[in-house]
Amino acid sequence: MQVIQALLILAFAAPAVGLMATLALGQRRSKGTGIASTAVSLVLSILILSSFLSSGKAATEGITYIPQLNIGFSLYAYPISVVLLLMSSIVFFAAAAGGNVKGIKYKGSVSLLLLFQVAATGLFLSGNLLMYFIFWDIGVIAAYFMISALGTGGRRRSGMKFLIYSFAASVLLLLGIIMLYYYSPAVSGLHSFSIPYLIANASSIPDGIQTAIFALLFVAFMIKMPVFPLHSWMADAYADAPTEGSMLVSGVLSKFGAYGMLLLFLMLPIAKNYSQYVFALAAVSTFYAVFVAMRQTDLKKVLAYTSMAEMGIILAGIASLDQIGISGAIFGMLAHGVTIALAFLVAGSVEMMFGERNLALLKGIGRSAQVPSYMFIIAILGITGMPLTAGFIADLLIFIGAFGAFGLYGLIPLAAIILMGSYLYFFVEKSFFSHGPSSPHEFSIGALQKFSYALLAGSVFIIGSLPFLILNAINLLKVL
Amino acid sequence: MVLQIYGLLPLATAAAVVLVGLADLFYRNDKAAAYAVGTLFAALSIEGIFFLEFAASPLRLGILYITPFTSFFMVLFGAALLMVTMLSSSHSDKFSRFALLSGFVSVGIILVISGTSLIELILALELISISTSFLILSGGKKRVEAATKFFILGGLSVSIFTFAMALLFQGNPSLSIAPMQPGLLTGIAVLVSILFAVALSFEASLFPFNLWVPDVYEGSSTDVTALLAGVNKKVAFVVIFEVFFVMLSAYRSEFSGIFALLSIITMFFGNIIALVQDNVKRMFAYSAISQAGYITIGLAVGTAFGLESSMFQIFAHTFMIIGAFAIVAMLESKNIKTYREYSGLFYRSKFAAISLSLIMLSMAGIPPLIGFDGKLFLFSSAVSSGMVYLAVIGIINSLISIYYYIRLMGFMFTEKEGRKLNASRTTIAVVIISLFAVVVLGIYPTPVLHYAALASSFL
Repeated sequence: MQVIQALLILAFAAPAVGLMATLALGQRRSKGTGIASTAVSLVLSILILSSFLSSGKAATEGITYIPQLNIGFSLYAYPISVVLLLMSSIVFFAAAAGGNVKGIKYKGSVSLLLLFQVAATGLFLSGNLLMYFIFWDIGVIAAYFMISALGTGGRRRSGMKFLIYSFAASVLLLLGIIMLYYYSPAVSGLHSFSIPYLIANASSIPDGIQTAIFALLFVAFMIKMPVFPLHSWMADAYADAPTEGSMLVSGVLSKFGAYGMLLLFLMLPIAKNYSQYVFALAAVSTFYAVFVAMRQTDLKKVLAYTSMAEMGIILAGIASLDQIGISGAIFGMLAHGVTIALAFLVAGSVEMMFGERNLALLKGIGRSAQVPSYMFIIAILGITGMPLTAGFIADLLIFIGAFGAFGLYGLIPLAAIILMGSYLYFFVEKSFFSHGPSSPHEFSIGALQKFSYALLAGSVFIIGSLPFLILNAINLLKVL
Repeated sequence: MVLQIYGLLPLATAAAVVLVGLADLFYRNDKAAAYAVGTLFAALSIEGIFFLEFAASPLRLGILYITPFTSFFMVLFGAALLMVTMLSSSHSDKFSRFALLSGFVSVGIILVISGTSLIELILALELISISTSFLILSGGKKRVEAATKFFILGGLSVSIFTFAMALLFQGNPSLSIAPMQPGLLTGIAVLVSILFAVALSFEASLFPFNLWVPDVYEGSSTDVTALLAGVNKKVAFVVIFEVFFVMLSAYRSEFSGIFALLSIITMFFGNIIALVQDNVKRMFAYSAISQAGYITIGLAVGTAFGLESSMFQIFAHTFMIIGAFAIVAMLESKNIKTYREYSGLFYRSKFAAISLSLIMLSMAGIPPLIGFDGKLFLFSSAVSSGMVYLAVIGIINSLISIYYYIRLMGFMFTEKEGRKLNASRTTIAVVIISLFAVVVLGIYPTPVLHYAALASSFL
């Protein structure tokens, strides 16, 4: 067994061990356990990335445990999974350190976070679609409990809405992958859920069936990303989740859908026929999200809709079906994950300090809450794709790809980004840095939260200024 | 010769339960009787595992025909009866009745799962059904109503079954459970299939012959409800396997549509009515109906994989529903019955709330729990034989069912302080057995699937 395979197993086992330790240890030790476990995961994911770069080829490790149906559990390291694993471990580490500052229900919150990490690690590293589906559902359950048990405001209702949409997605997904399994060619009488096998062989599925599978999976991933018009669960879920819940649902859970969407486009050749419509949908979704964001007064809801706009841009990159565009989409997932997590961490800090998220009431907080305010500026720089931030490389690659595929039409969503950027700067100026009396605050942020800020903001800049670290890995994706 | 003595073991074990029940009537030592009955049911289950592992070749002993199909269900029903016995043993005042009647039920079950002729089947079914009527009478708020409904509909079912047998006999002058030649039932194959399906739908609780189910489930005491949902209903499916997939196997194309229709309407009926329930026990009754609909998907598919998946789902649902009713019974004894009364359960009993949540998530088909595996296999079997519409409808129903399970979970995890609730040791033991099946066999379903495949290959 090579080093990378051992690392893959360790990376999957780390959050699971952490989860069991948290459940076994008492309430007071759970925060420490959570931070330690997510830190180990981050180190492991960096090691996986570097050993993947040095070996330069995909690695798998797995067992078959239902031989009758050729169903197995396998871990698969290839460009997309390695990059997404890195993104998720950064966000999880930051969420474990910076989330749940008030210390309500520590044990529950850390256990759910680690359960979510088991799901995310399993999903991103999964080498077959059935495991992808299983971890998807575990992630949904973890997120549901995060929202409905630990959230704020109308958490029960938001959690229910989230869950119903998510399960609608997951049943469509299940039906889609079962069809993919049976209609793809069999090797010596056995079908396979294996992702590399399906990417290589799904093209022999008849066109009619491919269209049906495409429709099922596309809708499922649309819900999860989310893309207009199936996004209505999003704003409430992001807003009512606790800080770490918002960070994880927007940063990691939305990537479940984006990753699936990418796999779908890589897998089914029929996707080419629909790529221009998908691109149009992505553009509509982006503009819609930006316009809705402008009408929001809740800080978290503004961020929720900017997140949706970003996901629209990523979908545009995927739909370009072009090497550069797809690389951009993968890079965009990484960039979006860390940036939006940073933004939601700020929202959480602001809410904790001032007890308020309403932008009309938050005045001049830049003076009393300097760290969050400047971090928010960094997040906005990342979201709008300023050079040196991670978002810049992502947008650049995505729009080069989109221009190649759709010509000048490909650049239309760029207008949405500009619009969104100008709005975000405008509202920061109006609320965070307004003149006049500053809102009173009750709490100040602690060392762990500052560390979490530094981690996320550092990632935004490191990834943005040294993009080749990631692009070298993405360039190994020679499936197109 | 030695093997033949082994072959008589299951029936002897079941008969021993009857003897224990009789002895208990005279000596009234319920505790000892409970241990004895429980041990005998556990032995039944272990004998089944033994047959599956070591004696895979079929064994014919007069009216008993023991194949891996028999052994698979012996394991299942042995475990199910053991769990029901444990639940029942906490009502010590009624245990002697339970011991005797469950003995008759188990004799009936052995005869059904190893039956060789339709006559034997019908007698065994009657034995089970009459004993169960008396069990229903032994406790519960509306027991007379429940027992009467159960008895009358059981009688109706048997008479329809007999009529179908008579029609069948006209074309095929033998009542033994062996594959019939194709072409013997010219013109009446569909009619015979419909009549058998109707007769068995009463017990298997398929729509529209299941209207008695919620009333009877609610009216009888919860350990008997667990028996009805976990054992009696599954016995009806065993009879369906024997009648349709052994005797009438040559007419598969004629009856496949009947099962497809029954499955679709049953799933929708169970799930939609369960949505509007307020009483948790009734909700589980309707959800059990919808689960019967899922099981029927495999029968409609009718391929080896379809039957295997049905058997897997029968296995899965038995453990889930008995575990669920164990917790419902525990809470019912503390007068907690409706959704609203379940609120704050997590803060009163973490054990009950977490176990019930896991069981409900499994029923809803959330991976990696056993209910997901069952649905995965069933929907896969439908897709693999080109019946994609069944998979689609099944999946729509899974989505509907999520709502009522999650709604109850929402109540259970509401913050509300209350008096702590303690579970009895037997309840905890039953729930742990159920959770073992739900979680461990959910993550690693291979052995169950393997034995289900072995069992279905002997149909």
